[in-house]
Amino acid sequence: MWRVIAKREILHNLYSLRFLLSLVLVLGVMAAGSLSFGRRQAAALGNYREARALAVKAMQEDAGSNASQLAVGRRNFDLRPRDNAFMDDAKEKYLPNAIIYSAWNVFGIKSRNDSANPLLAKYDELTWAFIAALLVSFVALLFTFDAVSGEKETKTLSLELANPVPRAAILGGKYVSAVASVTAIMAVGAVVSLLLLIATGGAGMGSATAIEAAAFVGAAALLAAVMAAFGLLCSVLARSSNVSLLLALCVWLLFAVVIPNSSGFVAKTVYPIEKAEAVQKKINQAFDDLNKAAPPGSWMSQSNNPFLPQHELRANLQRKRMAAEKAIRDDYYRTMFRQFERTRGVTAISPAASFGYLAEAVVGGGYARFRKDWDDIHVYQGQFQNWFTALDAKDPKSPHWYNPNEDVSTTREKVSFDIVPQFAERPMSAGERGRAALPYAAVMAIMACLAYGAAYALFVRYDVR
Amino acid sequence: MLLHIARKEFHNNLLSARFAIGFLLCLVLIPFSVLLGIGDYRDQAGQYRIDRDAAEKTMKEIRTWSYLRPILVFPPEPLGIFGKGISGQVGNQVKIRLGEKPLLPEGKAAARDNPFLASFFSVDFVDIAAIVLSLLALLFSYDALSREKEDGTLRQQMANPLPRSTLLAGKLVGILMTLLPILVFCFLVGGLIILFSGDLSFSAREWGRLALLALISLGYLVLFVLVGMFVSARTRSSVSSLVLCLFLWVFFVFVVPNMASYAAESFVPAKSRDNLASVTKDMDRGLRERQEAATKSLPRADWDMNWWMSGQDDGREESYGCSASFFEYKRQRASIEIPMMIDNADTKWAPQAAYLESLSRQARAADNLAMISPAGIYRAVAGTLCGTDWAALVRRLDDVRRYRETFISYLRGKDIWSKYEWITAAPPAKMITADAIIEKLSGGRFKTLAAYDAWAGKQADVKSRWDVLRVGKLAGGQPDDFPYLVANDMPGYIERREGVGRSLEGGAVARLGLLAAECLVLFALAYVAFIRYDVR
Repeated sequence: MWRVIAKREILHNLYSLRFLLSLVLVLGVMAAGSLSFGRRQAAALGNYREARALAVKAMQEDAGSNASQLAVGRRNFDLRPRDNAFMDDAKEKYLPNAIIYSAWNVFGIKSRNDSANPLLAKYDELTWAFIAALLVSFVALLFTFDAVSGEKETKTLSLELANPVPRAAILGGKYVSAVASVTAIMAVGAVVSLLLLIATGGAGMGSATAIEAAAFVGAAALLAAVMAAFGLLCSVLARSSNVSLLLALCVWLLFAVVIPNSSGFVAKTVYPIEKAEAVQKKINQAFDDLNKAAPPGSWMSQSNNPFLPQHELRANLQRKRMAAEKAIRDDYYRTMFRQFERTRGVTAISPAASFGYLAEAVVGGGYARFRKDWDDIHVYQGQFQNWFTALDAKDPKSPHWYNPNEDVSTTREKVSFDIVPQFAERPMSAGERGRAALPYAAVMAIMACLAYGAAYALFVRYDVR
Repeated sequence: MLLHIARKEFHNNLLSARFAIGFLLCLVLIPFSVLLGIGDYRDQAGQYRIDRDAAEKTMKEIRTWSYLRPILVFPPEPLGIFGKGISGQVGNQVKIRLGEKPLLPEGKAAARDNPFLASFFSVDFVDIAAIVLSLLALLFSYDALSREKEDGTLRQQMANPLPRSTLLAGKLVGILMTLLPILVFCFLVGGLIILFSGDLSFSAREWGRLALLALISLGYLVLFVLVGMFVSARTRSSVSSLVLCLFLWVFFVFVVPNMASYAAESFVPAKSRDNLASVTKDMDRGLRERQEAATKSLPRADWDMNWWMSGQDDGREESYGCSASFFEYKRQRASIEIPMMIDNADTKWAPQAAYLESLSRQARAADNLAMISPAGIYRAVAGTLCGTDWAALVRRLDDVRRYRETFISYLRGKDIWSKYEWITAAPPAKMITADAIIEKLSGGRFKTLAAYDAWAGKQADVKSRWDVLRVGKLAGGQPDDFPYLVANDMPGYIERREGVGRSLEGGAVARLGLLAAECLVLFALAYVAFIRYDVR
């Protein structure tokens, strides 16, 4: 029975003004986003390649100078602009997008200057994720807010229930039809967007893109399912469609506007972290303590004499300073990650916010990508260090006193740039994406079940007269 | 008659669920947004105090003129509580340098201690007002005509000798009478929270601007009421009218502002900062080469040894314990190099200005494109009034660059980089030769530098070479031997408190004019549509 109702509802939706307007709006925004994407991606890649070329040139120069120079020099690993950013930019231009490292240490993170215009107020890019979080959530509510209360007003609900139709079938049919209608709009938008991107050369269409696009539409369907369930709940909570509309709008404002935009407030008040000045103070204190405890001559240096005995003391002191700073900074980074992740955990009560995090995992971008790169570069740094120490061990002209900041007491031989280990970013694997996506997908599924369950419980008791 | 209709409309609306829910929405969201704004403001004010104290300490604890570099720390804009604009995205201070004109503020942005938080967006009072006021305006006006048509009451009213213009105006006034208390309530709540916050105090300037913002909000409200009435007069059923109004709301309030910024970033390219850094680095390299060439012929010192030296970028240097001839060399070098560095800053400004202009052009394009939406106009004007928009920042940076010129003129007036005070606090009368320094430091063991060098050349242990020079003490060999520099006559930076007139320059008046024109056009359109409306 519910299938008959769902079919009827889908047809009803297809001919409705709201479907037409939703389709026009989604397609319009998708088209605008897709047509602009190629241009901005080309500009972003141009900037990235320019910065990358300068970084490689600097490394080549250091390698051509001496291997120690190459090892101690601080390098930037810049995150490449993602080719699938048209699906979800994952706010990467506002996130830190570079990691600073050397053979001895992963120092920290930074935001590249070119990623965002500081004079332009922060905004959401016209990606699929923006369209889904804003429009799909809105349209899903719009398709369901009067599903029950509207039919009650027009008296068709009492007529329907005068027949032997289970209430579960009516509600289920309406729910399925709304989710299907909204998903169809998103799917059509995605296909049109992909076609436009291919036509304008904005993106290539490989199997990976197709799978990501399909997974993205699936995530959007989940969002539609949650919001449609809340729409039904609003509909059965009110006696008139006017009131259920107001409730639905309040729900939308709460989920799509208020909660996602309260993240900064939550982070600051619920999970405050130490100030950067206090951390710097700790580092300075650690440096002072180490300097005081260092044996006399630990700061002596003579650039043309690698075997100067004091160079060993100097190297020891520099290593201790680096280790002390690293311990403090890594601890601080862990609190940053924790603050960020916990804040996301709290704001995941908003389906729109949860969808944002889910979409980010689906496309393999944003914070999940950054964390993966952060971990990967630590592994690479270990390899780089091992490579350098092995190289240094072969040089009889080196005293092998490892100084992580200077090239005074390790090998000064030139090295071919071709044999230097390079860090290459790997895309997030399906398993990593799945692990990042699962908690948010689960939260959304639970919310959909709870909202639908509540709507059903109320609908069973609903006075249809 | 008009008032009669307005009163009836007002009473109907007042008793409706939408008024109660709308009021409740404002009751929750407005205080929430103001409290968020106050939280951010307190954070910024706290950071301002830390940075200001650090800057004052730095400025006080200098001994040489070459270290005199004003650090301008800007307090947060109090009205940023209502409209934060771009205040959270840029730093709060500018360091005045000789070798560089200030380009953009430095220091921590709002994400402060955790840069990942920069990816979290936030809403302020202006955003909430733009969303809620427009929604309420549409919800009260979408069925102003279509609902009455459905109920059959419109036909009954029109059967009487009632001009359609009077009916339309009456409904407009009635809806505004309903919405006005909500608007006043929003601003009243915002104002009261500020008043009772204790540590916040608004001057008459801020209260005046807030009142102006309330007035502009009224205009914004009227515009959306007219949109609703126009749609209502063009549709046959209230459901269609509602659906259309809601889509227009989402489009104008949420889609257009994002679309405008996206399009501006895509089609009005900003120059690359990395490229600018590379260009200016090359210019600095060229400067160093020119400086080296210009100072190559300077007479060399008898001993180029500093017993205490601190040198940093931008020509900052502090030296003690040098020989008289080395001090003289440094003085002459600074007198040549510093003017070259200042000239180089002027040369570098050309690409820097082009970069800044490209950023401004992009931001301006985003603002102009956002004018398609009343919400875009409202947000832009509110940003201008709150003094937190990009144009206010650009004007402030212009002022800061002018101040830098004043500061340089002040230094130039003293011809300070041609004097020893530029590089040391040691008086010229106390400067001695290298031989005298060696004799003092070695406790008389070596009478001349040549004797010391001859002995040191035979020592295998480098450390021992220096240990013999730690026997005696050199008066004036340390910075602590001298008092801090006093530069009371240095010109200070005076922050211009912009009047409403200056704030509204640069398009804000035009935007307000556009808002008013849109209201008039929409009223005319609604009137024409209603004249033709089939009330049956």
